[in-house]
Amino acid sequence: MTTAVKRRTPTLTAGAVLVGLVVLVALVSFIWTPHDPTRVDAAVRLLGPTGDFLFGTDKFGRDLVSQIMVGARTTLYVGVVAVGVAALIGTPLGILAAMSPRWLGEFIMRVNDLVLAFPALLLAIMFGAVFGASTWTAMVAIGIATVPSFARIARSGTMQVMSTEYVLAARAAGRSRLVIARRHVLPNIAGLLIVQSSVSFAIAVLAEAALSFLGFGTRPPTPSWGRMLQESQELLAVQPRLAIVPGIAIAVAVLGFNLLGDGLRDRLDPRLAGRR
Amino acid sequence: MFGATLVLALLAAMTACSAGSSVSVPPDPDAISIGFTAEPANLDFTRTDGAAIPQALLYNVYEGLVKLDADGKIVPLLAREWTVSEDRRTYDFRLHDGVTFGNGQPFTAADVKFSIDRVKTEWTISLKSKMDVVERVDVVGPAHARVVLKRPSNNWLFDMTTRIGAMFSPSGVADLATTPVGTGPYAFATRKRGDSIVLRANPSYWGRKPTYTTVYLKYYKDPTALNNALLSNGIDVISAITTPDSIGQFETDTRFTVLQGTTNSEVTLSFNNAKAPLDDKRVRQALMYAIDREAVMATVAANRGTLIGSMVPPTDPWYEDLTGLYPHDPARAKALLAEAGKQNLWLRLRVANLPYAVSSAQVVASQLADVGVSVSIEPLDFPAVWLKQVFTDHDFDMSIIQHVEARDIVTFGNPKYYWGYDNPKVKSLLAGADTGTPEQQVTAMREVARTIAEDAAADWLFLFPNVVAAKKKVTGLSDNLVSESFDLTGLGRR
Repeated sequence: MTTAVKRRTPTLTAGAVLVGLVVLVALVSFIWTPHDPTRVDAAVRLLGPTGDFLFGTDKFGRDLVSQIMVGARTTLYVGVVAVGVAALIGTPLGILAAMSPRWLGEFIMRVNDLVLAFPALLLAIMFGAVFGASTWTAMVAIGIATVPSFARIARSGTMQVMSTEYVLAARAAGRSRLVIARRHVLPNIAGLLIVQSSVSFAIAVLAEAALSFLGFGTRPPTPSWGRMLQESQELLAVQPRLAIVPGIAIAVAVLGFNLLGDGLRDRLDPRLAGRR
Repeated sequence: MFGATLVLALLAAMTACSAGSSVSVPPDPDAISIGFTAEPANLDFTRTDGAAIPQALLYNVYEGLVKLDADGKIVPLLAREWTVSEDRRTYDFRLHDGVTFGNGQPFTAADVKFSIDRVKTEWTISLKSKMDVVERVDVVGPAHARVVLKRPSNNWLFDMTTRIGAMFSPSGVADLATTPVGTGPYAFATRKRGDSIVLRANPSYWGRKPTYTTVYLKYYKDPTALNNALLSNGIDVISAITTPDSIGQFETDTRFTVLQGTTNSEVTLSFNNAKAPLDDKRVRQALMYAIDREAVMATVAANRGTLIGSMVPPTDPWYEDLTGLYPHDPARAKALLAEAGKQNLWLRLRVANLPYAVSSAQVVASQLADVGVSVSIEPLDFPAVWLKQVFTDHDFDMSIIQHVEARDIVTFGNPKYYWGYDNPKVKSLLAGADTGTPEQQVTAMREVARTIAEDAAADWLFLFPNVVAAKKKVTGLSDNLVSESFDLTGLGRR
C-alpha cells in the first residue's frame, strides 16, 4: 500500500483515447453532422464511399457518417442511464447488505443472486414486450440486470472497510451507520465502483446494440448502431460496408470502455496496487 | 462472470435470430421445402385473421367448391360443374364423387351446407360477413348442393374461391387451431411453432396426386436467413422474396430460376379515418401530397413494384390508373395542413415489425417531416400484437401493412374495419356492383376506387412485387400471385 501508483499505463491511455473519441463524436453530432441522419433520399441510395458521403449511404440514401455520429449519442445515453440505474440501486444495496444484521445481508444478496441468474437480454426483451420497445425500456432493463454486479462489489468492498481500525474507532465514538457509510465506506470503495462502471458501460453498449438489432431497442428512425447492423443484414451479401461500419463503431466503443476499466483498475484497486 | 453471461446470451440471441428454421431437408426427391417469412399464429383461419394461414392451407389441405387458377379465373374444384339460375340467385353445384376428408369421412352436399352455415355461426374473423348474402343451402342429393342467395352477388362466387369457401367435415372441426382436416391433396402432419409446418400427401386424394409427397413449409422471421437457406441448400423455393435489394444474387446464379410478377398485396399506409386528426379529409390529402410514392418504392422495393393510386391491382377488371391524383407536392401539403389548422401534427405510425413495413415507415416519416408532421414509429410484433392493438382495438393514427386479400377494396364498405372509413356513397356503389351485371360491376367498382382515392381514405404506397426464387428442378410455380393460397398442387419436377 505504500507505493502510490500514479503512473499512466498504456491500457489506460488507449482506453481513454477510444472513449474520448466516442464522446467527442457524440458531442460534435449535437452541433454538426455532414447530413441529416434520418432524411431519406432515394436519389442517393446505396452509394459507395465518396467525397460527399465518406462511408457511403444506406438503402434509404442516408449518410452513414451522420448516422454513426448520432448513433454514438444513443450509445452513450444508454450506457450512462443503464450504469446510473445499476450504480444507484446496486451500491446502496451492497453497502446495506454488508452493514446490516447477518440475516438481512444474506436475504439481500440471495435476491441479488436471483436477479443475476436471470438473463439480461431476456429481461430486456420482456420489458420491451410489456412496456413497448424503446430506448428507455432497454436502458432500464440493462440497468436492472447490472444491479447485482454493483451490489456484490459494493458489499465486498464495504466488508473490508468495516474491519479496518478507523471504522472500529468511529463506531466506538458512536458514529451512526449512515455517517460511517458516507464518510468512510463510500470514499474507500469509490475506486472499485468507477472500475465497475467502466466495465458495465461496455456491456451496456453491447446489450443496446443487441437489443436494437433484435428490434427491442431504439425505435427507428433514431440512429442506433445496433439497428444499423440489423438494417444492413438483408444487404450483407451485396453491400457488406453497411455492416462493417457500425460493427467497427461498436467494437471501438466496447474496447474503449473495457480498456479504460482495466486501466483504471490498475490505478485504483488497492489490492492490485499492493501487489506491485 | 456477469459479463461473460451477458456476452454469451447476446451471441446466443444473435445466432438464434440469424439461423431461423432448423429442420434440415432430407435428400428425398419426393420432398420439397418452401421458405416463408410470416408464420401463422395458429392453423384456424375461421377464428384468426392474417394471410399466413390460408397461404399454407388453402387448396393444399382445404378445398372449396371452386378455386382461382393462376390467371385469376374461377374454375371448378370440388364442384364438377355449376349452373346459375335466371335471376342469378340460385347456384346448383354438382359435386365430384369419391371425395373424402383427411379423416376418412366422405364429402357430400351435407358438408357443403354444414361448411357454409358454419361460417355464419362459428367463424369470428371479419371476412365471415362475406357469407351473409347466402339465404340458405339445400341438400338436393348427396352430390348436388343448391345455394340460394338473398340477392344476386358477383362477389359471392369469387369469395367462395377464398378461405371463406373452404369445405369442412362436421367430424373434423373439433380442434381447427392445431388439427386442420380438409379434402385437399395434402394432409397436415406436424407443426413446430416458430419453425415449420409439415404436410404429407393425402393417400386417398380424389384428384391428381401431387408430385411431392412431403412438403416442408419453413418459416424464417429474418429474410436474410431465408435467402441463405436457399443459397445453402436448406430449402428449394423462396415463396416470395421480401427484400428486393437481394434479388440480384439469385438472378445471376445459374442454380436458380427467378420469377417476377404482380400480387394482390397493396402496401398500404392506412389512416385511422374515424379518429382525429385523420378524420379530417384535408389532413389525409395533405399526407398524400407530402409522400413521394416513387421514392418509397425505390427505397423499399428496389423499384420492382407497381404504383397503383387506389386499392386495385392492374389484374382486376376495374383497374384505372389513378397514380396522378396526388403528385408529390410538399407546398400543397403544407397549405392543406394550414387550412385544417394542423401545422404541428404528431402522429403515431404503428407498423408491423416486418422489414418492408419498418422500411416504408422510415421513408414516410422522413417525407412527412419535410412538411412539418412529426411521426413516431412504433414497430409492433406481427402478427399477434399488431392484430390485437391496431387491427382489433384500432389504437393507431397510421399503420403500414400489406393488404394481401384479393379484391379487398370492398373493406371500404365496412365502417367497422380498422381504418374506420364510413362513406354511404361507397357503400351503395359497392352494393350496386355486387348485384348488377358484370358490366355494371366494372363501372361501379371503378367509381369506388376513384372515390376512396379522392377521399384519401388510405395511401396505397405501391403494389408489392411477387418474386419467387427456386432451384431449377422445381417447375409449376406461377409469376403472379392472385389467390390467397400458395398453391402446391401444380408443382412439378424436372
